[in-house]
Amino acid sequence: MPKCMIDGKEVEFTAGENLVKVAKRAGVEIPVFCYHPGLSVVAQCRMCYVEVEKMPKLQTACSTMATEGMVVKTNSENVKKGRAGTMEFLLLNHPLDCPICDKAGECDLQDNSYGYGSAYMRGSEERRTYVDVNMGPVIQKNMNRCIHCTRCIRFGDEIAGIHEMVAIKRGNDIDITTIDGKTLQTEYAGNYSDICPTGSLTLKDFRFKKRAWMLKKTTTVCEGCSKGCNMEIQHEGDVIYRCVPLENLDVNRYWMCDEGRFNYQHTQDPTRIIEPKVKAEGGWKTISWEDGILGIKEEIDGQKPTFLVGSDLTQEELTHIKEYIALQHPGATIQHFGTPGLTSTQQDGALDQILRMKSKTSNLNGAEKLGIAPLMNDTIKADTVVVMSAGRAKLPKINAKRVIAVGVYLEGDASQFDMILPGLAFSEKDGTIVNHQGIEQKLKRAVLPRGKCKSLSEVLMLLTNKKARVGANP
Amino acid sequence: MAKNLSEKFYTVMKKLEPRYPSKKALILPALHQAQEECGWLPAEVMEEIGEYIGVHPAQIREVASFYTMYNLKPVGKNHLRICTNVACCLRGSDELMGFAEKKLGIKCGETTADGLFTLSEEECLGACTTAPAMMANDDYVESLDVNSLNDYIEKIKQGVK
Repeated sequence: MPKCMIDGKEVEFTAGENLVKVAKRAGVEIPVFCYHPGLSVVAQCRMCYVEVEKMPKLQTACSTMATEGMVVKTNSENVKKGRAGTMEFLLLNHPLDCPICDKAGECDLQDNSYGYGSAYMRGSEERRTYVDVNMGPVIQKNMNRCIHCTRCIRFGDEIAGIHEMVAIKRGNDIDITTIDGKTLQTEYAGNYSDICPTGSLTLKDFRFKKRAWMLKKTTTVCEGCSKGCNMEIQHEGDVIYRCVPLENLDVNRYWMCDEGRFNYQHTQDPTRIIEPKVKAEGGWKTISWEDGILGIKEEIDGQKPTFLVGSDLTQEELTHIKEYIALQHPGATIQHFGTPGLTSTQQDGALDQILRMKSKTSNLNGAEKLGIAPLMNDTIKADTVVVMSAGRAKLPKINAKRVIAVGVYLEGDASQFDMILPGLAFSEKDGTIVNHQGIEQKLKRAVLPRGKCKSLSEVLMLLTNKKARVGANP
Repeated sequence: MAKNLSEKFYTVMKKLEPRYPSKKALILPALHQAQEECGWLPAEVMEEIGEYIGVHPAQIREVASFYTMYNLKPVGKNHLRICTNVACCLRGSDELMGFAEKKLGIKCGETTADGLFTLSEEECLGACTTAPAMMANDDYVESLDVNSLNDYIEKIKQGVK
């Protein structure tokens, strides 16, 4: 492999790699604004200046490919001066309203300004201001903060496949906006906020909810479809504030769709059922876990109810259910459900050119691997039905005398049920899911279960016990 | 295909196409040609150009708004662009602009009610040796002062030019 020197360190590289990537491998961070590994290179922010031996002027590291024997300095006096100059230009018009900016704490402009800028501001001119257009329900625009890196324009054009952001006019008058001030059309709009290096494009959903540095971060996987995009749940005090995609070049690259990004909301919905409940005259009656478990045991002990399991459950949960049925209800039917009209991984496929898949549950592949048969119709007829799901699988029409549900349900879903034991959502449990490519990925608990929800495995254990002795909440 | 642009536009484009390495390079000449035909560049025209060249209309608009010599609003019969860059500024272009605004009764960037004049500011015209300079439609008017600018406007008004 060819080698080059970066700040005195010898680094190997593959042909065609730019200096930002090579330097990163050598442990040298080069500051960037317009460069993004998932987008084309434009070299227009001029922040990534480096000094290359035998080249008369400073070079932009993002657009300079490493060559054999290249000697690069990223920290010389010249480079420091160049970067400080760039920072000064970029801050000429920036309002520096960090105290009320959602991006503060995770802002490239803030970090690079702190790291490479000058502590002294020479400019005394008036800063330009804009009137902002409404960009739809996902993104809040603030053009005053923009540094024209054009990442958003390139994201729309190259990744989302819709050229909806444009740069109108030039120089000091430039305006990064949508065509004719239209609202954003793409289903991937949340990424605009992730890639924006300033607070120009922020999430409306997250607006003024929490400072970025207060958030705890848990690495997990999205349960929105069979793609299994890697993501981070950002939470504090057992409340989820937002989800952001994590880089995984084999699965989702750097992106995620809005459906997955905002999917966490159903776990915090005020209508989510978080206590054991039984249908009573004129609505629902809250009962204790003991009564719930005993009630179910009475109904199904020694019987062969039909088990419907959502393909949104984890491998561990599905395995436990199978073991439980073999032990307690040998011969009972078990079928998985998830997306109406989609019963096998063969029918699953890409919903668009980017990430989204047809299967709206995360573990269809896993359920199939465990040998669970699919529910072929959208309606089911049986005597007693036990439904177990994590809230993402779309419920079929159930035509039965008694319907017992375990899992995550909103009040709106519950009309078909006679009894509900609340279970854990994807953000409240650990587990394994298998995506459409067959890659096994781990869900990780980010927040404690809400209310009196219990894990499915615990419910099964209680059902198996002779006596339903229910301990304290997890 | 032709909706807003004439057959002539498309013949000119066909002739120009082999000159450039890619069809995308036709954006600037196409905009010039379209502006010559329509006087300015309405959104539908830019959309049609985008369709013809095979790039998104948004890109056409980005290009058109980048250059000051493409008109994104209708202009008067005579478009006066006074250069206000360094050389012309030092030689009194501010004074000229102020005079023209007063004389025509409009602000920079506006068009007179009779549609005869549009006044705008221009970046460097490359005529620094004969500053201050002005571009009137496709003609250069150089070494201006208040008197000669007054004469020039009067001549247009009387229909001499």
